[in-house]
Amino acid sequence: MASEDEINLLVIVVDVNPIWWGQQAQRETELTLSKCLDAVMVLGNAHISMARTNRLAVIASHCQDSHFLYPKKSWRAGDSGGDDACSSGDGKYELLAVANNLIAEEIRNVMSKAEVKGNSTDTFLAGSLAKPLYFTGQVIKAAEDCALQYMNFMNVIFAAQKQNILIDACVLDSESGLLQQACDITGGLYLKIPQKVALAQYLLWVFLSDSEQRSQLVLPPPAHVDYRAACFCHRNLIEIGYVCSVCLSIFCNFSPICTTCETAFKIQLPQMIKPKKKKLKQPT
Amino acid sequence: MKLRVHLQCKNLHEYLRELSPEILDRLYNHPATCLAVYRDLPSLAKNYVMRMLFLDQPLPQAALALWVKIDSQKDHDECVSVLTGLRLWHSQQLQGGLQGYILNPVFKDNLRIALLGGGKAWADEGSSLGPDRHARDIESLDRYAIERWEVILHFMVGSPCAAVSQDLAQLLVQAGLMKSEAGEAPYITSAGFQFLLLDTASQLWYFTLQYLKTAQSRGMELVEILSFLFQLSFSTLGRDYSVEGMSESLLTFLQHLREFGLVFQRKRKSRRYYPTRLAITLAAGVTTNTGFIVVETNYRIYAYTDSELQIALVALFSEMLYRFPNVVVAQVTRESVQQAIANGITAQQVLNYCTHNVLLWTPVLPPTITDQIRLWELERDRLRFSEGVLYNQFLSQVDFEVLRDRAQGLGCLVWQDAAHRVMVVSPQGHSEVKRFWKRQKSST
Repeated sequence: MASEDEINLLVIVVDVNPIWWGQQAQRETELTLSKCLDAVMVLGNAHISMARTNRLAVIASHCQDSHFLYPKKSWRAGDSGGDDACSSGDGKYELLAVANNLIAEEIRNVMSKAEVKGNSTDTFLAGSLAKPLYFTGQVIKAAEDCALQYMNFMNVIFAAQKQNILIDACVLDSESGLLQQACDITGGLYLKIPQKVALAQYLLWVFLSDSEQRSQLVLPPPAHVDYRAACFCHRNLIEIGYVCSVCLSIFCNFSPICTTCETAFKIQLPQMIKPKKKKLKQPT
Repeated sequence: MKLRVHLQCKNLHEYLRELSPEILDRLYNHPATCLAVYRDLPSLAKNYVMRMLFLDQPLPQAALALWVKIDSQKDHDECVSVLTGLRLWHSQQLQGGLQGYILNPVFKDNLRIALLGGGKAWADEGSSLGPDRHARDIESLDRYAIERWEVILHFMVGSPCAAVSQDLAQLLVQAGLMKSEAGEAPYITSAGFQFLLLDTASQLWYFTLQYLKTAQSRGMELVEILSFLFQLSFSTLGRDYSVEGMSESLLTFLQHLREFGLVFQRKRKSRRYYPTRLAITLAAGVTTNTGFIVVETNYRIYAYTDSELQIALVALFSEMLYRFPNVVVAQVTRESVQQAIANGITAQQVLNYCTHNVLLWTPVLPPTITDQIRLWELERDRLRFSEGVLYNQFLSQVDFEVLRDRAQGLGCLVWQDAAHRVMVVSPQGHSEVKRFWKRQKSST
């Protein structure tokens, strides 16, 4: 009888940017937000069923912030919370039923309460990723990258790498260089799904296995990673730039003072020719 | 000479493999069983099952073999054999003539129900009964479970204070853990001693398996009670469940579980029951152990406990020296270990018991002690008995050598002494050697 005492925690971060999902609903009705969440719940249920010591957390990443969909913040560890969340009354395993009901309830709260500012299709990915930093993380991303979050994002990735946390990414629409870097650095899997409607299948086939089984299974090969850095002044991705020798921050244009560490750079000015003082000969 | 009976502890999969296919298929008709079986699979097999869970057509075997990397081929083969042995999938021929695998449809449907919903509810949640006025919290449930389970163990050790029902005593005798002469109280056997030294999860599981074996003779439905057991193991601790809709045999089973300490019911006729921690750990096989033993290199054992049962168990293989309110000091001596071995306990079991119950900050037993206990066990094992037939009183050395070579050629010579012209032949070879000797004698 196996006794794995280590808790294996899977955290799923879902991008619920309402603008992108709204546009998506108009473009094609195959994959809507509710269907995406269904697929996420299937993955979560499968993960919990695999072993008694497996745990799950789900975070929704909105425009300006992120929310925990499951578990509820008010829970203590080990509390079943069975008073208000009753089971589904059918053959589903009780624990899963409670979890699924909670997720559905919370996402409704999040979507109805959160404000939508502006028309941007960015998501607050860096913040969402920072939350589960002591867990295994998995990201499902819909909207495009936002260069503004580059700094925070890279810090999050390196912290995850230090703590041996795997970040996987499952991308629905546009390729994300940031997530490719995250997966490459931490050792996770990056996959852009060719057929959105088969999201659940991809999640179960590719992302369900843990690190031990990944070494045994044949999985999609790593994509070519775009390692271009973003400059600190405009947040553009550049290939050639200026690097501060003290703090290693990157700039696209030259500036005499580094904005991060405020070091003044010694500039090589063109040589000034000192006028030679001719000694005036005293008239004798 | 007594042959030692070794206690066989089967795990869930071994038990299921022994069941007949029809019973297995009926068993898989309940989502709880499917989930329990699924959880016990090796992790690679779990991935396979998950992948095939939503497929309706069989998958070609060649495609399956491509799922693993080349160096993990051995794990792949192991998974295939496990899944086939449990009848979780079977081969089916595809349209192109290739062999393919498809998940057992009953298992597939029920695992899907367990994961995603649909189908019948496992048990009535007790919501129709309203909140319990005499609700029990988790600590009292734990105390109740441990108390009931220890009564059984006390009864086996022979404490006078422990009394169990007739049914339970009979079950212990049938399981081979105790023996009863006519008219006398049962006493413990060597298998029973070995049972006592196991950890709680193994004890529970062994006991349950024995119960299931006798279930059919009591007129109970094996499938029904096994499904109910698995269902129990997935329940939430601290929550009450209703007995609505349970058949007669299930209700009897529930009463037995109440006696073992697996469920708590306030009264026999109560409409609700609480599963205890013992029931939940039954299928999981995970126990949280608070250790209490320290084994020192001077052969002393300090047991920080005041439980009579644990003290009795430590006294099985050591000599008690001092007893304090919270500590018991014992010494492991040659006599005490050899007495334990005479009772049928092996050195390995003693060592397992000590390792399992050791206090956490000394996780390893001293190698001197482990080696010495094993040596004391080996001291009793100096003789090995094998049956044979003695040939002696040969008239000449030549006769002896001819017969001995013949026996050696047949491979049945067990022992020989050329100086005294004596040899021993195994019983299987005896008839052949005798025939040869008769032919030899008649020809010369």
